[in-house]
Amino acid sequence: MKFIAVLRQVPDNEAKLKIEGGQVSLGGVTLILDGMDEWAVEEVIRLKEAHGGEAVVMALGPERFEEALRTALAMGADRAVHLVAEGYVDPISQAQHLAETIREEAPTLVFTGGQQADWDSQALGPALAEALGWPVVTWTTQLELEGETQAKAKHDLDEGAELVRVPLPAVFTSQQGLNEPRYPTLPGIMKAKKKELRKVPLSVQSKVEVLEQTIQERQRLNQVIDGSKDPVAAANQLIRLLHEEAKVI
Amino acid sequence: MILVILDHDGSHLRKGALEAIARARQLSSLGNLAGLVIGENLGAVAEEARNYLPTVYTAEVGSYTPERWAAAAYAAVQKSGAQVVVVASSRQSRTWTARLALKMNAALLEDTLESSTDGSRVLASRYSFLNRVTEKQAAHLPVVLTAKPNTTPPAEPQGQGGIEALTVEQPGAQVEVLERVAEQKKGVSLSEATVVVTGGRGLGSAEAFAGVEALASVLGGAVGATRAVVDAGWRPYGEQVGQTGKTVQPSVYIALGVSGAVQHQAGMNKSKYIVAVNKDAEAPIFKITDYGVVGDVHQVLPALLEAAKKLKD
Repeated sequence: MKFIAVLRQVPDNEAKLKIEGGQVSLGGVTLILDGMDEWAVEEVIRLKEAHGGEAVVMALGPERFEEALRTALAMGADRAVHLVAEGYVDPISQAQHLAETIREEAPTLVFTGGQQADWDSQALGPALAEALGWPVVTWTTQLELEGETQAKAKHDLDEGAELVRVPLPAVFTSQQGLNEPRYPTLPGIMKAKKKELRKVPLSVQSKVEVLEQTIQERQRLNQVIDGSKDPVAAANQLIRLLHEEAKVI
Repeated sequence: MILVILDHDGSHLRKGALEAIARARQLSSLGNLAGLVIGENLGAVAEEARNYLPTVYTAEVGSYTPERWAAAAYAAVQKSGAQVVVVASSRQSRTWTARLALKMNAALLEDTLESSTDGSRVLASRYSFLNRVTEKQAAHLPVVLTAKPNTTPPAEPQGQGGIEALTVEQPGAQVEVLERVAEQKKGVSLSEATVVVTGGRGLGSAEAFAGVEALASVLGGAVGATRAVVDAGWRPYGEQVGQTGKTVQPSVYIALGVSGAVQHQAGMNKSKYIVAVNKDAEAPIFKITDYGVVGDVHQVLPALLEAAKKLKD
């Protein structure tokens, strides 16, 4: 069986973002394998360990994405495919290009993150499924293969959750609770350097243009009430402020 | 043609549907409007929808799967020749609209805050980078656009439209639902609430959420929870606010015993007013609050409830 994880490289959660020339500048920012994609990578490695076959990682993005692919290889993925495209490429266009490569690989299933921390998009998984003509299960918290042709999965909805049976191949997106990703070990990192990382240069026309990015931090009032001595008075004052000053209750 | 796909609960249109109609009207220089309701037994919602739109399509396809919803939407797009599709943003809609955009070879503008047109393109703004960055996007038609809840005043009724039933081909490989674990939701939904009262680990126990529920109920709001609280099993996942939970933008967000990790902030940092009660004056949440109370949440919360009750009497 073959299991594919599609990933992105994103700024670390704690990174301080800067804007230069109307765009987010990633200079000096720590870049990592996206946290939700990391769950996807861990899951395909576990599937391969449990069922045999191959765990492949894939990404469409600029040269720098290679580091995130190497991280996934160091975790235990067998090989990587990097579709190299500079600049912003929207998820629908990404899905169309990635699907071509995925179709050639003919995997059992594809896993990707539920929402990546750079573009805050949830579209890549379902768009890939559509491009491949496969079903999609988003926000997956549990996955169990039932042979090579179907799987049982639990996933989150807007309210509540669902247990589903899904014919394979299919696309899944990850959610918190799916697994605990392993850390790459030193031997893992050494081995990753020798693993196959195939680069395919790509020229992609994005369907969406990002005109301008800004950081609009709301100026907060930062009004602090000491409620340690008289909690009742503090509570009354807070309710009064919300009613009379902010007029929100 | 602009197609608005209308979210409903089986008997009524949801608030998000009315906001989506308002968004579509803002783009009316690009074409006439039509609506679509998807699901089963759609008579009542179609009747309601025709008060807002000149044409309402119905697609009786059964219960929700992303494949069915995308197929129904695409059938309406083909029937109407729509070049723009507008839908209220939710986790479910963000799944099937991605499928729809691919079917249409359209640009997808996700979870937008506002939208307009320059005559040939659709322009929209949205958040990115964990809700920290606001970005302006532009795309040529065809465009599928999802509208973030609580960003547009709901549309008012206008005219009296006709209803037309669509025939939708069932998609091929599909997910089969074995069991649906619906979370019992009292009151307003978290995503649409104008007041959100969230409890964090500082509350200390599942039982302490009785106070959070009571305060939310008095203020006509919804209950939220942090990841720590959900992981501890005190509250259902559907209430989680943050990077891997819901993103909310209420008029006022009241955080009780919440420290305010970056991942939590990603789900609430755009709230109009942020209020926090925490005994630790150094908690990160205080960096983004408008009104904060430094104190013991177990003492402050009952007092807040009393004061809120008095106010609402």
